[in-house]
Amino acid sequence: MSARDRILAAIRAARPAPLPPAEAIAAEAAALLDAPESVRPWPVEAVLAAEFVRKASALGTSFDHLPDRAAIPLAVKRYLDTHGLPPALALQPAPALAALDWTDIDTHDAVAPDQTAALGLALWGIAETGSLVIHSGADAPILLSFLPLHHIVVLEERSLLPHLEDYAAAMQGAAQPRNAILITGPSGTTDIEGSYVRGAHGPGFLHVLMIGG
Amino acid sequence: MNAPQQGFKERADAELKNAVLKIAIDRTTGNAERKRAVAVAAFPEFQAARARGRAIKDHVIAHLDHYLEMFERNATAAGAQVHWAADDAEARAIITRICLEADAKLVTRAKSMLGEEIGLPHALADAGIERVETDLAEHIIQLAGERPSHIVWPAMHRTREQVAILFKEAHHPPPAADDPATMVQSARRELRAKFLGADVGISGANFLVADTGATCTVTNEGNAELTTTPPRIHIVTAGIEKLVPSTAHAFALLRLLVRSATGGEMTQYTTFHCGPKRPGDADGPEEMHIVLVDNGRTRMLADEFRPMLRCIRCGACMNHCVVYRQIGGHAYGGTYPGPMGAVLTPVLDGLAQSRDLPHACTMNGRCAEVCPVEIPLPTLLRAWRTRSWRERLEPRSVRAALGLWAMAARRPWLYRLGSRIGVRALRLFGRRGWIGSLPLAGGWTAYRDLPRPSGRTFMEQYRAGQAGRAGQTGREARK
Repeated sequence: MSARDRILAAIRAARPAPLPPAEAIAAEAAALLDAPESVRPWPVEAVLAAEFVRKASALGTSFDHLPDRAAIPLAVKRYLDTHGLPPALALQPAPALAALDWTDIDTHDAVAPDQTAALGLALWGIAETGSLVIHSGADAPILLSFLPLHHIVVLEERSLLPHLEDYAAAMQGAAQPRNAILITGPSGTTDIEGSYVRGAHGPGFLHVLMIGG
Repeated sequence: MNAPQQGFKERADAELKNAVLKIAIDRTTGNAERKRAVAVAAFPEFQAARARGRAIKDHVIAHLDHYLEMFERNATAAGAQVHWAADDAEARAIITRICLEADAKLVTRAKSMLGEEIGLPHALADAGIERVETDLAEHIIQLAGERPSHIVWPAMHRTREQVAILFKEAHHPPPAADDPATMVQSARRELRAKFLGADVGISGANFLVADTGATCTVTNEGNAELTTTPPRIHIVTAGIEKLVPSTAHAFALLRLLVRSATGGEMTQYTTFHCGPKRPGDADGPEEMHIVLVDNGRTRMLADEFRPMLRCIRCGACMNHCVVYRQIGGHAYGGTYPGPMGAVLTPVLDGLAQSRDLPHACTMNGRCAEVCPVEIPLPTLLRAWRTRSWRERLEPRSVRAALGLWAMAARRPWLYRLGSRIGVRALRLFGRRGWIGSLPLAGGWTAYRDLPRPSGRTFMEQYRAGQAGRAGQTGREARK
């Protein structure tokens, strides 16, 4: 008997009654998600953007509010200058970013192991936790969000969701990407004597360019 | 793969004398305790969320075969290869075979307690494969040649100065200073080439999502994604109890896990890994293997330790445990320390090897109070004590003492006589209200003081009180 069969047989032997039909199990599982407002932090729908900024700022994320996408290159230049960084940027190979005017910044697709700064797009923001959501894909390399020291992310204000469950609902029926990542603040560690240090392996700086309002 | 438990008392004794360890434990667990309390206070729905979390875990445990098959189906459809291991040896064999068939020279690993449980570090070394731990704390203990002493902060027993000595020897160039920030930078520099040069990346899973076939990791450092993205092969090791029906159920448990573990609301990186690189994907592994490990879990399903399968490995029970905070994690001798470890280690290593662990508990109940999925840890520890008695694993001195006590307890006159003598004799050892040392009980009084008893037993005082009250009532009636 294979390990699989032995494990499943042991599980069935431990259950006094036969397994209910799949629909009954699914109904029970769905009921465990009922009345979500009773088991999560206060509703935040009224002030999504303010709540997102408050949550993410508390974790060390910085913000710049822009009227539209055309303002992105200038905002990136401003950020690089403020931090005394060279005008070079790994750019997520997404058409929406490539279409912008990058005359003042040296942009490239490849992410170097010691990349200083990179710019990418977030699909959603979650106000409850101040999280950005990214998915892997043909125009979305995962390492772009992890190798650089400064991670700059574009987030459309209209893509804000109130709660974690709203992201799960938005994904209902959609194809699950290889990686779906919720990024909540810059990388950090408390592994040495509990002292908090930023930039453990991932980015030490997370900067959000919030578009629209 | 756990160390023998024979020497628990000796190990605990040695750790109690280690003053540096005590400071290190207090810093980390004290901090964790405070931050958890703040996070729970800021979440008024916490108790309701906790009951819901428990219900989700119980639902999965009751339908485990259903969810395992659903997960297998969906993970396979996403292109992952699902393997099943009945015990630690099978799990080690599967992982070693995958690495050897891939001709892997270098393996990076993102912290997983299950990997420790199945003895993965040794298995890779035996196969001649270089293993690099990428979690900062795991990196520290790998350099020190140690095992984790906490399930969330594996290197919490090491001070900054001790870490600096390890890094100066191992890092090229060595860190320029021994403050935490400089040392974290040094590890970042040192490990970067390893991340990008690895042939295989191994991670654990905090959740296995049945309806998508995804595995979920949570980290604050970002090392999991750097471990699982660049290599050609990604291997996940996970216990079969890690299943959740859907992503939304995982979120419900995450709210509890993060607050209970670190006092945060969300880990920095919460990642769902679903299958290998898709056609056209910019990066990602060519192969994804998921090893589902039983290793005693189906046995727990059938006995009184079933509620332990709810455990989401947050570490709150050890952070709040008076015993753990005195002796630290290594004294426990197994993979999992603290209250949850004292319940799990006898499952993994056998009770005969670990009967001391369920006894090393004051039954103060704090672990059960803070457990985010309401595991009745003291009840489970008591169940191990009962089983140890029934299986005649208790030493002769314990059996004799308990036999004597049981004999007296069945004869109230003898019990009262014994306690009358006892409380009067104990008073002879008291100094300023406390008893600091007792003959034959040096092991107990070396680390604790006993309040000096009043000199009369409870029953004597109760009787006196009753008599006094009767007299008073009588006098009032005569007035």
